[in-house]
Amino acid sequence: MRAGGSPGVSRRDVLRAALVGAGGIALGGSLAACATPSAAGAGRPAVMIWDLFSGGDGALMQEMVAAVAAENPDIRLDSTTLAWGSPYYTKLAMASSGGRPPEAAVMHMSRLAGYAPGGLLEPFDLDALAALGVRQEHFAPAVWEKAQYDGQLYALPLDTHPYILFNNPELVGQAGLTGADGKLDYDAISGTDGFLAAGRAVAEVTGETGVGWGYLRDPAGCWRMFWGLYTQNGGGYDLVPGRKAELDVDAAVEVFEFLQEMVDGTVAARNQDGGAASGRFMSGRAGMMFSGEWDLPMFRDALPEVGATPFPTIFDQPANYADSHAFVLPRQAHADPAAREATYRVLAGLLKQSMTWASAGHIPAYQPVVEQDAYQELTPQRDYARAAEIAVFDPDVWFSGGGSDFQNRMGDAMTDTLSGEAPPRTAVDRILREMDRLLSQPNPA
Amino acid sequence: MSVADLVAVRRASAAQQRAENRTLTKLTIGPSPWARAGALAALIVLAALWLVPLAWGTVTSFKHEAEAALPASWWPAQGWTLEAYQQVLSNSDLLVWMWNSLVVATLVTFLTVLISAMAAFAFSQTIFKGRGLLQWLTIASIMMPGQILIVPLFRQMQALGLVDTFWGIVLPQVVAPVMVFILKRFFDAIPSELLDAARIDGAGPWRLFWTIVLPLSRSILVAVAIFVFIGAWNNFLWPFIVTTDPQFMTLPVGLSTVKNAYGVQYAQNMASAMIAALPLLVVFMLFQRRIVQGVATTGMGGQ
Amino acid sequence: MTVSNPSITAPAGKAPVRQPAGAGAAGGTRKSLRERDRSGYLFVAPFAVAVGFFLVWPTLYGLWMSFTDQSLTGTGSEFIGFDNYAEAFSDPQVWETLLHTLWFTVLSTVPLVLVALIMALLVHTGLPGQWVWRMSFFAPYLLTSAVVSALSAWLFQPDIGLLDTWMTQLGLQPIGWLTDEDVAMFSIALVTVWWTVGFNFLLYLAALQGIPQQQYEAATIDGAGGWRRLFSITLPQLRTITGVIVVLQLLASLKVFDQIYLLTGGGPNGSTRPILEYIYDTGFTNYRLGYASAISYVFFALILVFTLVRLMPARKEA
Repeated sequence: MRAGGSPGVSRRDVLRAALVGAGGIALGGSLAACATPSAAGAGRPAVMIWDLFSGGDGALMQEMVAAVAAENPDIRLDSTTLAWGSPYYTKLAMASSGGRPPEAAVMHMSRLAGYAPGGLLEPFDLDALAALGVRQEHFAPAVWEKAQYDGQLYALPLDTHPYILFNNPELVGQAGLTGADGKLDYDAISGTDGFLAAGRAVAEVTGETGVGWGYLRDPAGCWRMFWGLYTQNGGGYDLVPGRKAELDVDAAVEVFEFLQEMVDGTVAARNQDGGAASGRFMSGRAGMMFSGEWDLPMFRDALPEVGATPFPTIFDQPANYADSHAFVLPRQAHADPAAREATYRVLAGLLKQSMTWASAGHIPAYQPVVEQDAYQELTPQRDYARAAEIAVFDPDVWFSGGGSDFQNRMGDAMTDTLSGEAPPRTAVDRILREMDRLLSQPNPA
Repeated sequence: MSVADLVAVRRASAAQQRAENRTLTKLTIGPSPWARAGALAALIVLAALWLVPLAWGTVTSFKHEAEAALPASWWPAQGWTLEAYQQVLSNSDLLVWMWNSLVVATLVTFLTVLISAMAAFAFSQTIFKGRGLLQWLTIASIMMPGQILIVPLFRQMQALGLVDTFWGIVLPQVVAPVMVFILKRFFDAIPSELLDAARIDGAGPWRLFWTIVLPLSRSILVAVAIFVFIGAWNNFLWPFIVTTDPQFMTLPVGLSTVKNAYGVQYAQNMASAMIAALPLLVVFMLFQRRIVQGVATTGMGGQ
Repeated sequence: MTVSNPSITAPAGKAPVRQPAGAGAAGGTRKSLRERDRSGYLFVAPFAVAVGFFLVWPTLYGLWMSFTDQSLTGTGSEFIGFDNYAEAFSDPQVWETLLHTLWFTVLSTVPLVLVALIMALLVHTGLPGQWVWRMSFFAPYLLTSAVVSALSAWLFQPDIGLLDTWMTQLGLQPIGWLTDEDVAMFSIALVTVWWTVGFNFLLYLAALQGIPQQQYEAATIDGAGGWRRLFSITLPQLRTITGVIVVLQLLASLKVFDQIYLLTGGGPNGSTRPILEYIYDTGFTNYRLGYASAISYVFFALILVFTLVRLMPARKEA
C-alpha cells in the first residue's frame, strides 16, 4: 500500500472521471424522468397489485394478472411479490401510511383486524362491485362475514387455503396405505398411532423418512400444525386483551408429545426446514408431506400424480387449519377515480379467474367458479375440498393472523421442543408467556 | 508515453515491489524456510476459508434448479447451466435495482464529498463568527448514530413527500461529519505559503478552494469518495425504511424484499446474489491499490 | 470542546496519507491571511443545512415523539409525558434485546480484532501472493448485507447446506446454525467476522506498514528472532491502532441490524433480536412510533455514555 507507487494513476483518474461524468449526465436524465412518473402513461390508469405468494402459487397469480391485463388493454396492470410474512405486512402498513401504496394488495383475512381500524384500508363500494357482477350471494356467508369491519366490506375474499397432507401415490401404495380407488386411505392415517405407523411404513419404502415436515425456520408452519392439532384435541382458548391467556394445557402437551414422536428421524426428519422437506418429498425421499395446498403447483411439477387429503384426523375431532386470502384497497393519499375504477375492474376480473387460482390448490371463495363442473373434476383439489368444511382459523384477537408477529412468536416458542431439546411442557409454557405478553400490550391500531 | 514505456515502468515497479517484499519477509519472519512455509500455509488456509462462501454460491448459481436442492456437491452431475442467470435477469427487477443503487450511491458520493469539502474548507481556511460553535456541533454529531433516527426521519420524509423517491434515500445519507474532519485535517496541512501567495495575488475564497485546495487534495478526496461510495452502495437500513415501492428500491433492499413467485429457488437466489456482488468486486479488482488505501486512511480518519 | 481536542484531530500518525510537504508548519502566518468575510458561511452553509435538516431536526422531533402515543396509522398523537419511558424501563423485551446487542458486540468484536490482526501480520510478512490475500480477506466487505445473508443462509441451510453436509460427512450431528437458540448468535457472529474483518485487516496492515524498517534491522543485528521481533517491536507499535479498531468495532457492532434481520428475523424464539430490530418492529410492524422513539432514546443515551467514557482518557492524556 505504498502511496504513489503506481505510475498509471493519473491516466486512470482521467478515465474514471470521464466515466463518472458520463454517469452524471445519464443520472440527470433519469432523475428528470422520475420526477414525472405519470407523464409516461398518461391516459392509461396504472394498477399495481402487491401479493405475498412467494410459494409456487405466485406463478399462477401472475398468469391471472396477465389474463386480466389482456382483457383490459386500457389498464397498465402490474403485480409484485414481496417477502411473505411480517415484512410484507410492515411494508404494506408503511406504504399505506404515506408512501406510494399499491392500488390493491392481497392480505390474509385474519389480518383485517390490524389494518381496517387504523384507517390503513379503504372499504369497498358494494354498488361498484355489483355493477361488475360481484355480489354478496357469490360468497359463503361465513367468509363474507369475516371480510366485514364496522358494517363495511374491507376485503374481497379470494380463497380458503387449508394446511393439508400431500402424498406420493406410488410410495404410499407400496406401503399398503391406499384404498380400493388407489388413493391414500384417509382412515389409515388417522389417530396418533395410526399416523405414526403409516409414517414408518412409508419410511420403510423410501429408505429414509415417511413424511416431510419442515418445521425449522418456519414458525408459521409450526403454528399451523399446532393450532390445527390442538383444535382436533378439543383445546379451546380464552384470549382477552388485558387478561391472562387461557389454554387447555393438557391438550397442548399431548399435541407436542405427538409431534416429538413424529419428528424422530424416521417418521419425519429431525433437522429440516421447508425447502429441504419439499426437496425430500419431490425427490421421493419422503412419501407424504405436510404443507399448505399452495405448494401444489410446485409438487405437481416434480410429481405429476401427487395426491392430497385434508389434514389427517390425528386426535378426536376433525379440524383443519386454514386461512383466507383477500384483496384489499390500501388507503391512497391522493385517490385517482380513474385508477380506482380500473382497480375494481381488475379485482373483479381476477375473481373470475379463480379457476386458475384453484389449480394452484386454493379453494376459491367466488362460488360461481366452485360450482362449475370443471372445478368439481380437478384432482387432487376435490380430494381435499372437504377441508374447508372443517376449517379452523387463527384465534380471534387483534394480534393474530397469517404472517403476523404472533405466529412468529408462537412458532419460535415451540422450536426447542420440536427439535427434542426441551420437553413438551416447555413449549406450552412459552406459548402462554408470549400470549400473556401480547395480551398486555395496547392495540396500536 | 507509449504503451511499451508504460509496460516497462510497470515491470520495474513490480520488480521493486517484489524486492521490498523479500526484504520484509526477512525482517519479519527471518530466514527460516520452515517459518516461511508455516506462514504461507496459514495464509492459504485462511484465504481458502474466506473464499468458500463465495465459491459455493458461485457453484450453486450455475447448477440446474433441481440439482441445487439436492445434498451439497461441488460438481453437478447434470452439468453446468446459465438457466438461473437467465431466469433472474428476465424475471426480476434486479437490473432496475442495480441502476437505482448506482444512481443513489453516485449522488450520495458526489454530494457528500462536495458539501464536506466545502465545510472543511470553511473550518480550515476561513474565519467567521460562530465557527467554533459549528465545529463543536459537527464533532457532537459524529456521536449521533443515525440508525436510531429511523422513526422520526421516516415521519419527516412522509411529511416532505420524499418516501419512495431517490432524494428521500439520498439526502439523509449525505450528512457525514467524520468526512468533514478528515478533510479539514488534510486542508490544515496544505502549505500556507501556497495559499498566502494566491491570496496576495487577489484570489478569492472560491478560487482558493477550486484551484488550489481541491487539486492538492485529490488523493484524500478520492479516498473519501471510495469510502462513501462503498457505504452508500451497501447501505441497507435507511433505504429499506424509506422505500416501499419496488421500483425505487436499491439492490440490497430489492433483493431481500421482493421474492420470486415460483417458490424457493436456490440456484436463482445465488445467481441474484452473484450478480449483485459483481459490480463492486470487479471495481475492486481494477482499482485494488486505491481502494485499499482509501479505506485504510478514511476508516481511521474519525479518530 | 474545541477542535484542538487531540482525540479528533491528532493526525493518525501512521496513516499512509500523502501529507503535502511542510504539513502543519507555519500555522501562525496563515491565520493572519485567512478570509475574514462572509465566505465562510457560504462554504459551511450546505453542510450546516444538511445537518440541521437530517440530524438536528429529526433528533428533536424524535424526542418529542417519544413523549406521545403517535401511531403509524396516524391515530393518536397525544402528549403522554413519560409513559413511554416508564414502559420502556419495565419492558423485558427492551432489556432482552439490549442484552442480545451487547452479547453480539462481545462475540463479534473479539474475533474481529484478533483475526484481523493475525491476517495483517501474515500478509505483512511480504510472502508472495499479496494481491490474492488482500482480495480474499477484503472482498466480503464489499458485499451488501443482502448478499452476505443470502450466501450464509445457503451455507447454513439445514439438511442440504454445505456446512451440514460437511458435518454429516465427518460423522457429526448437523447443527441448527440459525435454528438453535444456543447457536444462532454464534453463527451470526461468524458471518459478521467473515463479512467485515477485511476492514480491520486493512487498518492493521496500514499501521504495520508505518513501522520503520530500521527498527527491525536493528533488532536483527541484535540477534532477535522472529517471535521476539513480533512481541518486542510489532505488537507494541500496534497498541494505538488496536485501541482505535476496538472502539470503531464496538460502536459498529452495537448498531447491528442488517444481517440479523435478514438471517433470522431475530429468531429463533427472539434469541438474536437486537435492540434496533426491536425499535423497527415496535415502530413499523406494530405501528407504535411514539414508543419506538422512546426506546431509541434509551439506546442513544447508553451509546452516548459509552462514547463519553471512552473520550475521557483521551482528554486526560492531552
